Amino acid sequence: MTAQLGAVADTPAAESAGLPTPIAGRGQLALAWSRLRKDRMALLAGTVILLLVAIALAAPLIAQVTGHQPDEQFRQTGLTSAGLPVGPSREFWFGTDNLGRDVFIRVVYGARISLLVGVLSTILAVAAGLVIGLAAGYLGGAVDSTLARFMDLVLSFPLLLFAIALVSVVGPSVPLAILVIAFFSWAAVGRIVRGLALSIKEREYIEAARALGAGNRRIMLIEVLPNLVAPVIVYTTLLIPIAIVFEATLSFLGLGVLPPTPSWGNMLSDSLQYYQVAWWFVLFPGLALLLTTLAFNLFGDSVRDALHPSTTHLAGTR
Amino acid sequence: MYGRRGRAVGASVATVLALVLAGCGNSSNGSSTGAASTPKQGGTLKLLGASDVDHLDTVSAYYTTSYTLERAFTRQLFSYPATADVSKAINPVADVATVIPTTANGGISADGKTYTIHLRSGVRWNTQPARAVTAGDFVRGLQRLCNPVSPVGAPGYYTNTIVGMQQFCDGFAKVPGNAKAMADYIDSHQISGVTAPNDTTIVFKLMKPASDFLNILALPFASAAPVEYLRYVPDDATFRQHTLSDGPYEITKYSANKEIDLDRNSAWEQTADPIRHQYVDQIQIVQGQTDPGTVQQQIQAGTADMEWDTVVPTANIPALRASNDSRLGIFPALSTNPFLIFNFQSPNNSGALKKLQVRQALEYAIDKVAIGQIYGGPDLNTPLDQVIPPGNVGYQPFNLYPTPDHRGDPAKCKQMLAQAGYPNGLKLNYVYRNAGNHPAVTQSVQADLKKCGVTVKLIPQTPADFYGKYLTNPSGARQGLWDIAAPGWVPDWYGNNGRAIVEPLFDGRTYGPNSVDYGDYNSSEVNSLIDRALSEATADKAAPLWHQADMQIMKDAAFIPFQTQKTAIYHSSRVQNTIFFPFSQNYDLTQVWLQ
Repeated sequence: MTAQLGAVADTPAAESAGLPTPIAGRGQLALAWSRLRKDRMALLAGTVILLLVAIALAAPLIAQVTGHQPDEQFRQTGLTSAGLPVGPSREFWFGTDNLGRDVFIRVVYGARISLLVGVLSTILAVAAGLVIGLAAGYLGGAVDSTLARFMDLVLSFPLLLFAIALVSVVGPSVPLAILVIAFFSWAAVGRIVRGLALSIKEREYIEAARALGAGNRRIMLIEVLPNLVAPVIVYTTLLIPIAIVFEATLSFLGLGVLPPTPSWGNMLSDSLQYYQVAWWFVLFPGLALLLTTLAFNLFGDSVRDALHPSTTHLAGTR
Repeated sequence: MYGRRGRAVGASVATVLALVLAGCGNSSNGSSTGAASTPKQGGTLKLLGASDVDHLDTVSAYYTTSYTLERAFTRQLFSYPATADVSKAINPVADVATVIPTTANGGISADGKTYTIHLRSGVRWNTQPARAVTAGDFVRGLQRLCNPVSPVGAPGYYTNTIVGMQQFCDGFAKVPGNAKAMADYIDSHQISGVTAPNDTTIVFKLMKPASDFLNILALPFASAAPVEYLRYVPDDATFRQHTLSDGPYEITKYSANKEIDLDRNSAWEQTADPIRHQYVDQIQIVQGQTDPGTVQQQIQAGTADMEWDTVVPTANIPALRASNDSRLGIFPALSTNPFLIFNFQSPNNSGALKKLQVRQALEYAIDKVAIGQIYGGPDLNTPLDQVIPPGNVGYQPFNLYPTPDHRGDPAKCKQMLAQAGYPNGLKLNYVYRNAGNHPAVTQSVQADLKKCGVTVKLIPQTPADFYGKYLTNPSGARQGLWDIAAPGWVPDWYGNNGRAIVEPLFDGRTYGPNSVDYGDYNSSEVNSLIDRALSEATADKAAPLWHQADMQIMKDAAFIPFQTQKTAIYHSSRVQNTIFFPFSQNYDLTQVWLQ
């Protein structure tokens, strides 16, 4: 998602570059892109996302500039003698946390975890949802009823309880967090894909393809899949912020990223004891989380509008 | 052997539930004795906190919070006075017994092995009609200790001292866990060393002299138990609805994990109780508030009166101190919490932790001031460099591994590690409790060790698994599941308590499942010093031996002490006569009145 975005942003002319002549009919995606470009909110949200990616990538550079590492404890300058965090200052732009660590650099490094977990788990979820949803919707019959019931089962799981139980058995780690989040997100994608596949497979051109002797696999990949790209892109942009919040929730509960690695969720968790005396400790990671999810959500909304200008609120509900 | 489930857990309960922020400045701050006004009767005292008692039956109840409650509805032969003077507060006085037995008054035989104790009159159960508490009730209380269903968490105190206790317990362990079978066993078997020649006399025969025997009898485990208790399986749900009381308050409502209510016990008489009082009418303990910050706010607002199992959040203490809030009380905890232990069994790093020089190197690594900051800073925490904390027998300050200002000396650590054959450092598995202040302590230690070239792999666990799957599990220790860990320890009693600190934590002969010598430290010198100290007739004679054991353990670098803490607790402005009871780490409910 981000890579695609980056490429597009680097070459603003991409829209026309790939087309043989200016007059030729434009594809669905190209049309959507031109609509997206005219959407101010999308531009703003997209800029914020790009900025976040840049910050996450440049985290070690930023650490060099400030001279503070994310897990470095400044016990003399970053803590009062009673062990309370110190507020924002020239040395600590966002103040310090309960161990005298620089909140600014931890928020910066936290972006890495959030984006990594958010994007990777979403990719996994979308891939799984596509494959399973497509198989269920297109093949139908026993395959459909088995897979569809399985999706219902996953959707009805008490996800947080399950995650807590699983993590306490296996032990918290980033890969596990990614898998858990993906596991609870794919079924929603799968259901949507299944529904679309069900309706697409009744269309005449599918029947035509079958009459021409195309096999199931060819029809699924060549005829059905391309028609699913738009809704899946919409869903992907909307899943990322959900995954980011989910990661923060897991970390908040001590089930996600292991300390001392900073994540916005475990920073918020640490800050709870101190919110009365150290507002910066809770505010900055909270703001970072809010800004990120907001940007992704707004961008996702815009992408959806761009792809389906007539149906404004189709995929938004979950 | 006060085990991990024991009062230590009292500390860890609070910890679990949020934060043991223990600690605190000096007892003069806080002014919480507040004894100025004259006693006032009436009112309902409201306590607010997170969770239920561990057990309600005196046989197995072991948390500090349980002790808070037991103080109000149970009585022992001996107990501790309510006083702000710590040196007096830690010495047992007569409770149901008429006097403290001595060789001079004939209570203790010349060989120190027979204790004859007389019961005072006027002590009654709240039965219908009220019935006198007898010597037989105390015998029954001890018999119930090793029932097979909910036994005492620290059997060693009794089986290692009283003649015949071990045999009685061995037999009891084979009895089926139903009320009838257990009652039959108790009716048909005796502990040979505990007899009641008449209703007001009880005689104990000891295996060898024990200068701390009165402390052992003052534990709530040794409370009297009425004959009615034999109808129930110890501490089961039915039992919890049918507790009887010989103290100033009786339990009128027990609702698990929600609420415990106590009312005045009309069978109790002030003249028959030299320690407790009955000022407030009711005591209401409300549970389910797991956030210490919320508890604190409610007490400050006056909608609750005292903490139940939480303490003042560390972050709140500086402001309360700055405003000289007289409702804040800061009291010495006389404990060592937390501290770092080594797994002597670990095969990791080709058995590096077995090497004395490696452990000694690590002694220099820790910034103890930083650990103190996590628990509220130097006003509440004092760095500790030895096994025995102040306020306990054998305490003589010394420091074998000094570092500048207790801030740690990474260079020295690194150099000694290199000399020990580890110039590239070590990789250690650090299991820790994922609750309260423990993650912060863990990260602080991790950062210290990193400066000395030691890489630490963190293994977060729930408090239950931390002990159950790791620290008290020898097979896990042998596999190297963990190398270092930071438990805490609150001794079962203070003063003459080598049996409650050095013996359980460092007697290598006790190593095995559920041992609290978690890392399998085993030194023949220390073991023999323990034996000699325990058989001394008085605490004064035992003290130098405990000190020698302390010195030897530190020479062996068997563990890394961090600090001794003070406890910060808070009460509403209408609560008067708040006297800190160090054993329950809270105010004594039988002393307070409401203005």
